[in-house]
Amino acid sequence: MSSSPPSEAGERPPGWLDGYPAEASRGDLFRDATEPVAARWKAVVASLAAKAEGDPSTLQDAAARHAADLGVTFRVTGDEDERAWPLNVMPLIISADEWAKVERGLVQRATLMEQLAADIYGPQRLVREGHLPAGVIAGSPFFARKMMAMGPRQGRFIHVYSADLARGPKGQWRILNDRVRIASGVGYALENRLAMGRTTDNLMVETRVRRLADFFAHMREGMAAACNRDHPRVALLTPGRFNQTYAEQAHLARYLGFPLVEGRDLSVLDQRLYVGTIAGPKRVDAVWRWINTNSLDPLTFDAKSQIGVANLYDAWDAGGVEMVNWPGAEVLESPAFAAFMPRLCRVLLGEEPLLPNIATWWCGQAAESSAVAARLDELTVLPAFGQRVEGLPSRRAVEGRSLSDRQRTALLEALWRRPMDYCGQEIVHLSTTPAVIDGEIVPRPFTVRAFVARTADGSWTVMPGGFARLSSSNGLPTTLMGAGDLSADVWIVDDRPMEAHLRSMLYEEPPVSRGGGILASQAADNLFWFGRYNERAEMTVRIVRTILDSSVEIDGSLSAQGNVLQGLIGMLVARGAITPKMSGQPAAAICAAALSDAAEPGSAAALLHRRQEVGLSLRERFARDFWRIVSRPMPMVDMHRPQSMLSTVRWLTEHFSALAGLVSENMVRSAAWRFLEIGKRLERAQALCRTVNWLVRDGDDSEVLGALLDLCDSQIIYGSRYLTQPMINPVRDLVLLDPDNPRALVFQVAEIVAHLEALPSVSDDNLPEPPLRAARALFGELQAAAAQDMTSERLADIEARLLELSDAISLRYFLQFDRDEAEKRTRLL
Amino acid sequence: MRYSVSHITTLDYAAPVSLAQFNVRLRPAAWPGQAVSDFALSVDPQPAQIVDSDGGYYINESRFTLRQPIRHLQIESRFTVDKESLPFFVTGAPGPDLAEIRETAMKLPDLSPLGPASYIYASPIAALERDIALWASGFLTETMPVMEAGRVLMETIHQQFAYDTKATATDTPPIQAFNNRHGVCQDFSHIMIIAARAHGIPAAYVSGYLRTIPPAGQARLVGADAMHAWVNLWCGEDLGWVGFDPTNALLADTDHIFVGMGRDYGDVAPLDGTFRGGAQQSMHFSVDVAPLD
Repeated sequence: MSSSPPSEAGERPPGWLDGYPAEASRGDLFRDATEPVAARWKAVVASLAAKAEGDPSTLQDAAARHAADLGVTFRVTGDEDERAWPLNVMPLIISADEWAKVERGLVQRATLMEQLAADIYGPQRLVREGHLPAGVIAGSPFFARKMMAMGPRQGRFIHVYSADLARGPKGQWRILNDRVRIASGVGYALENRLAMGRTTDNLMVETRVRRLADFFAHMREGMAAACNRDHPRVALLTPGRFNQTYAEQAHLARYLGFPLVEGRDLSVLDQRLYVGTIAGPKRVDAVWRWINTNSLDPLTFDAKSQIGVANLYDAWDAGGVEMVNWPGAEVLESPAFAAFMPRLCRVLLGEEPLLPNIATWWCGQAAESSAVAARLDELTVLPAFGQRVEGLPSRRAVEGRSLSDRQRTALLEALWRRPMDYCGQEIVHLSTTPAVIDGEIVPRPFTVRAFVARTADGSWTVMPGGFARLSSSNGLPTTLMGAGDLSADVWIVDDRPMEAHLRSMLYEEPPVSRGGGILASQAADNLFWFGRYNERAEMTVRIVRTILDSSVEIDGSLSAQGNVLQGLIGMLVARGAITPKMSGQPAAAICAAALSDAAEPGSAAALLHRRQEVGLSLRERFARDFWRIVSRPMPMVDMHRPQSMLSTVRWLTEHFSALAGLVSENMVRSAAWRFLEIGKRLERAQALCRTVNWLVRDGDDSEVLGALLDLCDSQIIYGSRYLTQPMINPVRDLVLLDPDNPRALVFQVAEIVAHLEALPSVSDDNLPEPPLRAARALFGELQAAAAQDMTSERLADIEARLLELSDAISLRYFLQFDRDEAEKRTRLL
Repeated sequence: MRYSVSHITTLDYAAPVSLAQFNVRLRPAAWPGQAVSDFALSVDPQPAQIVDSDGGYYINESRFTLRQPIRHLQIESRFTVDKESLPFFVTGAPGPDLAEIRETAMKLPDLSPLGPASYIYASPIAALERDIALWASGFLTETMPVMEAGRVLMETIHQQFAYDTKATATDTPPIQAFNNRHGVCQDFSHIMIIAARAHGIPAAYVSGYLRTIPPAGQARLVGADAMHAWVNLWCGEDLGWVGFDPTNALLADTDHIFVGMGRDYGDVAPLDGTFRGGAQQSMHFSVDVAPLD
């Protein structure tokens, strides 16, 4: 590797940090660094420069590529598509000494959070004794009265605490906000570290960067230790794949070995929580929720919630499930709370805050309200409880001095009428840190989200690092990642040498897998449909390919050819790939529409889109290579250039082959794999029945039979077996009944039987379950059949029974309350 | 006054639904001047267990689960209640002015379901609505005594809004009823709550009943054939919560039977729940509040 050893600054190309334009007055991580750490900065920059061969942007591209490879994405609220992850290649470098102070402050804060939650949902001494106004608690939309006097079994309200930190001009660290609801960013911190590891090779080890792996291991052990079973199952509860940080949740679940579940996967029975799996319900001991309290249980909180679990409350009440964090804990996140933190720290812990929070005044008190109104020019004003309020344009803090006279009058009037809705805060000045922007190293204001988790013995551990955000303006970040923001890794550098090599920094201790073995019914359902949509799209492409192959003239133009073409176009209409009106159009237009008209449900584009939708929720189950191929956009289709259309078809054919190859060679033979396969086999079997019935109506037109062989990839074997041109019964035998032909109907049914036999049974009587019985009956019949038996009536009957088999499988293995959607999908067949 | 109250709700499903779980909020919570006896809740088909709890806010909640598939469900609640008239110290008092109400409410170290703190903020249904706040600013002032403010608000709603049972549904947002100037007791109560809170008055949504048959020679009260809703305003530490009925422009007195109060309808809904299955649900109810003496 070409990276330079540390402290040999003489080798670095000149100029990278020499002309670094940070203002001395506002504070900068590099400018302020004392000698040993400054040397690390220089060494890191030198090494990056060497790697970049003088052009920092090449390095930036590499970092972006590695982040993309990891599948890191995010969604901006309101966007339909996920965005690429903006990772800056320049890490924040912080000395272990400076960080140690931050760590102590965070542990103190987490301890305080725990005691506050315990008091608010317990004796409420703080309110009674006048240390905390009732309105500061009641004003939070997350104050959960129903959780009153019902604490967690082991008395741990908070398992994971995080905070946004700002570094001021003089290097002082401060808490911008407390976060106990959802630890968003913790997965991004992990992903940034992994991507940086790939981008910078050995640099982290040389720089003695503290590892993150221990933090995650301790956090996992902490959650497990709180459960009352020996081998507990901890599930990560997600709001679903349309959530802004779904990618982060999926990645985190995979890394920690937690099943990723949605509310509809879970149910409460006899005060315990279960996840519906293909092997029946399985107990869940702890839930790491990425859902607001108010959406957690429609029977207890918001009755309209679609993402929660009905009567989860019963399990909490009986101590049947551990929560990370306890419902209602987010009451502590209100900006109004921050106003009381210094005092509460003294009252509850008898200590001064080691890490102060940003100075805050809650206007629900007369004196504070007047002070904020009087000092409006020096302060920011923000909603006290995170909700929209009168007189402020949004939920974010607004600097008083930025208001127009009219806005100012309106705000003051609103503040006077409902003072309890507002907080005043001091204006924060952020330190800068070096960042690579457009090929140059420039200072950018930053904040760091830090994470604290409980370990198995209940004590706190702080992630050595965090998730840094670099903003383009001086403003504080208001969302996790906004448009235009950058993220960066945070390196805490030690003087002690690192014992482990970089490559094993995160993986030397494999995650203890405590639930990866189960397959949730919902996931099985999605796998099944992923397999079906993939196969369905492939079939559309095969038909288009056959049309193109049979009609492209030597001179490259297209011409219609009687029966074959009419038959194939008819199939496209029947599959919903093109509209009936299209069928009179030239072949080129038909092919282009069947490939790319997303408005038609059976077109390749529409089916690939549906596959992608279902696939999003399976992302953590698929290998990265697989996901990368799935996500690759389809090439453009140009109907005026038949050759380009042919190459699109070729591209798609290779796309399907690549996926099939990965599934066949790389996917573990788990139940997940079996559902993917069952979906594919069922789809292919049904398509075969239809195709044969559709094309073989007129008896034995050899050209039509040839096209059928083409669609079934069976021309070569036919040619080697028979010397004649295609004839009806030999073709029927080959594509329907030959058990050695992997494209034949009987082969698909045999595979389905084998998969169903291998799936777990829920009953103790050892009798085959209904789907297996149905599949075996069909298989036996096909084994005994002769080619001339396969009449169109027979095929129609088999197709109907395949549909019944599909229903039987979904009834047995999938969640039943989604029948509406399942039926909708069935009608598309 | 003594009343016999009966409330029967029937639910029918187009196809069987399974794992139906319900919250029923029909058992009256204790209230000054009101004594409830022989409350009985019966559910058919009968669940294995009905769990009673307090519903977070000032409301009783009964929860039950029906594991077997059902197509039909009947919930019946019956009780007898004695009502005393509002004392003169409530009806005759002006109460503190709005500025004082607001400041006392924020100072009181009381987080209980009857404390004012929880009812001064916007809530999921009674959300912040600028237009309603502005409208109320037309007749509310900081120096107005709270009882007067309550009366003005309730009477203005009564005058300006048309009672129309067909105009809104249970889930119509209050602002829509406000813009169209029509609705039922639920809409009027939410509008009044939003207006009161905009001026810093703690305001709660009350769920209850009205006597069905009026005394001889008096008109039948509006909303008596269903559950009724009105608004409790917090009128200072001495007066406490006082009920204002904007649908009838009356203080809640002997004709109003209190069941419970919360921040808005969502906290005190008489019935909510979940079930598995996509079947259409239809609901019918009958309410009877008959004077016994």
